[in-house]
Amino acid sequence: MPSPLEILQRRFTASIVGEVDEAFVSDVSGGGALSAAEAVEVYRDGYVARLSEALGETFEACWRVLGDEDFLTACRDYVRSTPSTTHNLSDYGADFHDFLLHRFKTQAPFIGDLARLEWAFKELFHAPSQVGLSPEALAAGAKSDSVLCFGSALVLFSSVHRVHALWKRDRADETPLSTADWSGEERLILYKSGGSAVFTRLLSAPEFSALSLLRDGRQLGDALAETENLDENSAHHLFAFVSEARLVMDVTHPVP
Amino acid sequence: MGEAKVGVGLRSVHFPRLLEGPKTKVHWFEALTENYVDSEGRPLEVLRKIREDYPVALHGVSLSIGGVEGPRPGYLERLKRLIGRVDPFLVTDHLCFTGAHATNVHDLLPLPYTEEAIATVAANVSRVQDFLGRQIALENVSSYLTYKESEMTEHEFLVAAARRAGCKILLDINNVYVSATNHGFKAENYLDAIPSDLIAQIHLGGYSDTGKFLFDTHSSAPTDPVWELYRRVSGRRTQVPVLIEWDENIPDWDGLEAQAVKAARIAEEAHALAA
Repeated sequence: MPSPLEILQRRFTASIVGEVDEAFVSDVSGGGALSAAEAVEVYRDGYVARLSEALGETFEACWRVLGDEDFLTACRDYVRSTPSTTHNLSDYGADFHDFLLHRFKTQAPFIGDLARLEWAFKELFHAPSQVGLSPEALAAGAKSDSVLCFGSALVLFSSVHRVHALWKRDRADETPLSTADWSGEERLILYKSGGSAVFTRLLSAPEFSALSLLRDGRQLGDALAETENLDENSAHHLFAFVSEARLVMDVTHPVP
Repeated sequence: MGEAKVGVGLRSVHFPRLLEGPKTKVHWFEALTENYVDSEGRPLEVLRKIREDYPVALHGVSLSIGGVEGPRPGYLERLKRLIGRVDPFLVTDHLCFTGAHATNVHDLLPLPYTEEAIATVAANVSRVQDFLGRQIALENVSSYLTYKESEMTEHEFLVAAARRAGCKILLDINNVYVSATNHGFKAENYLDAIPSDLIAQIHLGGYSDTGKFLFDTHSSAPTDPVWELYRRVSGRRTQVPVLIEWDENIPDWDGLEAQAVKAARIAEEAHALAA
């Protein structure tokens, strides 16, 4: 049997997140010149505003390309359909990319990918910094049978639309977007390198495949051999990037 | 700055200026717990840098200390880890609840002023303080509705909950003024009823007048009535830290610091008058 306090808290919460509970409204008095119903509405409006603001902070580029009206309406509808269960507002919106894609599939088919990129950036922004092996240490330790152990502050991101430039687009740039701005696949890496800043680098398809295999624990020689269209020069450049960005935390070898 | 140790809320818009290490009359900073409790990135890096030079208090919004379900799983562990990293001089949250049934509304919902609510708060505070190994302080919240089932006034509830729970009070004078105006009680009576020994910190902030009610927005400087109430409390010669709280339309650093200087001056004047 729930206590009076438990019943009150359930009804108040339900009235904010979902439909207003009339029994709850009849148990309260509004402050100032507010009726009881208007007072409950203050809390309902505040809930939508706070969660929309959180979505706006995480999905800033989506907001920019969709514009205020479309983005904020989408936020309001998403908030009304998706209650928050976390104490951390920045964790809200994990599946917002699906919601946006479903709603704006025709006018902005790239929007789901752009939202996924923004979420990946947010996750990495809050990840711990890491300092991997120095280029010298990596060069000394890495052999054909080595397994490279990457740090956690690294995301390999692929999408069916080109969204990196949209994400980086100047806020003041109001040039209308065209299909050419997003058509085509894209792959990139987001990473931290010794500090709190998050860096990005576009990857070719072979670079992305090779890095994915290495991250999955494939031996260095095998990963490079299995990657299609990765010539020796490209492999050298990729290894130089990994080395200079200090992405590798450790190198292991099979026990003889 | 006289006897009052005045702090301001640590906000990201001021990070660049603060990292330059400016000479400032601000004595300490208050960090919003939720901005750091799950982050290992730049916000925590800046907070640790600030902590090298200034005392820091942690101020949370998610403890849900009045919730029948108590703090959410995992939150206390994260809070304790953050406390270990920052070594705050004070850990605070709000006398409220923030949802039910795993739903978080991210708001500071008022409690009914009942014996059951006091018992719930006391049990939750006991659990929290035991886990953290330190005393916390709870802030009175602004509210826009009251419950017909309340059995006492807000200030009676606040004092009884703090006494029963064995915690301190973070006295938000702006919130007292907002709720007093909204619900028709005298803010002076409320403040006079709060024992000095329970007050661990004072908050000052600004509200918005919607025409129908006062809304606690922290979007402006404290208003004249709030300054006058602060002067009244300062007349007790309390030595508790005072904070200027500003969350929306945040001014530049100089503008914020000017409010801190004003708070120190008013406290100094009130102390001198009371001496």
